[in-house]
Amino acid sequence: MNILFFTGKGGVGKSTLAAATAWQLSQKSRVLIVSLDPAHNLGDIFGVSLKKKTSFSKRLALEEIDLKKRTKAYLKREIGVLNETYKYLQVLNLDNYFSVLQYSPGIEEYALLSGIEEVIESDNEYDYVIFDTPPTGLTLRFLALPRVTITWIERLIQIRRTILEKCHTIHRICGPMSDQETLLNFEEEDDRVLQRLIALGRKYRNLDAVLQGNACRIVTVFNPDQLSLREAERLILALKDLNLPLRLLVDNKITDANLPTAERVENQLRKITDASLTRVRLSDGLSGGRSSKLYEIQEDMTSWFPTGAS
Amino acid sequence: MAGPSTLDFLRRMIADMGATQRNKVAALTVAEVAELRNIFALLLLGAFVGLPSPPTFLAVELLPLMEKELQILNRRAQDSCDMLAEMCGMLGID
Repeated sequence: MNILFFTGKGGVGKSTLAAATAWQLSQKSRVLIVSLDPAHNLGDIFGVSLKKKTSFSKRLALEEIDLKKRTKAYLKREIGVLNETYKYLQVLNLDNYFSVLQYSPGIEEYALLSGIEEVIESDNEYDYVIFDTPPTGLTLRFLALPRVTITWIERLIQIRRTILEKCHTIHRICGPMSDQETLLNFEEEDDRVLQRLIALGRKYRNLDAVLQGNACRIVTVFNPDQLSLREAERLILALKDLNLPLRLLVDNKITDANLPTAERVENQLRKITDASLTRVRLSDGLSGGRSSKLYEIQEDMTSWFPTGAS
Repeated sequence: MAGPSTLDFLRRMIADMGATQRNKVAALTVAEVAELRNIFALLLLGAFVGLPSPPTFLAVELLPLMEKELQILNRRAQDSCDMLAEMCGMLGID
């Protein structure tokens, strides 16, 4: 399975290009395109309503990740664990108290990441999975999340293991009859916190390996203008920091008038990355909205992502 | 005549003395464990007191399993106004 992320500043045309790429690739391969943008417009582009995963054609499926629904499902699951743990307190209506958690920093990124993870894990029936991402800020935060989380988890596991070692020492000195209240289980298998941390660590390492692997390709879309250039530069440097594979730069909305600017912007970007670069001309057909033909984009996008590459 | 009760008493006394000695030896490690668990809880839930914290969802994932850590965190917060006495107690200084 090939995984493509279309990234870039808001309005540069990444959704359109992701959709056009999905359509063109679906002529020969099985493709799933997933919108991660909280302000979805994948359904608008294809002119269909996307309440759930929908087959647009025989080989093309569309999906919009519902962040609110995903956040609620996640919180519900956690509240379920809380209820289970504190059953003796007969805690009622916890969800009212915890519902505010959905506005906590980081929860949206988590919902996005869990959406990506679910799609990658469950959808083996596609040759290509294309993610249309939200604007740069949020995209970088959720792409950085596995790395950041792994770092924290490793540190927490280390502390937890030190605690267990010391508990083992206490156990050996005081014997099994000790009833000291502060004593923890000293076996790793008995420590639920450590087991949870190890399971989470495994999950994020797997996801990180997929994101950094050969099957994953990040495409950055930009326009021939200064604002778009600056954001593309920041994005490219941040991807480098995160060790994520930027494979293609797409200079979109090229016209005869902005060609000199396009060349200048491209030269600037070539200084900081050796990823391939391609141009897509501004398509007049797109300005007509839903009734226009998205598929009139002339460039052959399938050549960017050869079938069977992994 | 020394009956079984006297022998039992002596046995228990020796066992209790042994246990006391062992507890004394382990006391510092017990305090260290409590402190480490306090640090663990602080690291995970530090956002509540303004410390940099891990991604929120990590704290939410582990929160249901951390009853004991939260008790220690709470106790340490209550004792923090008299840290000198706490240290003296821990090191056995009268």
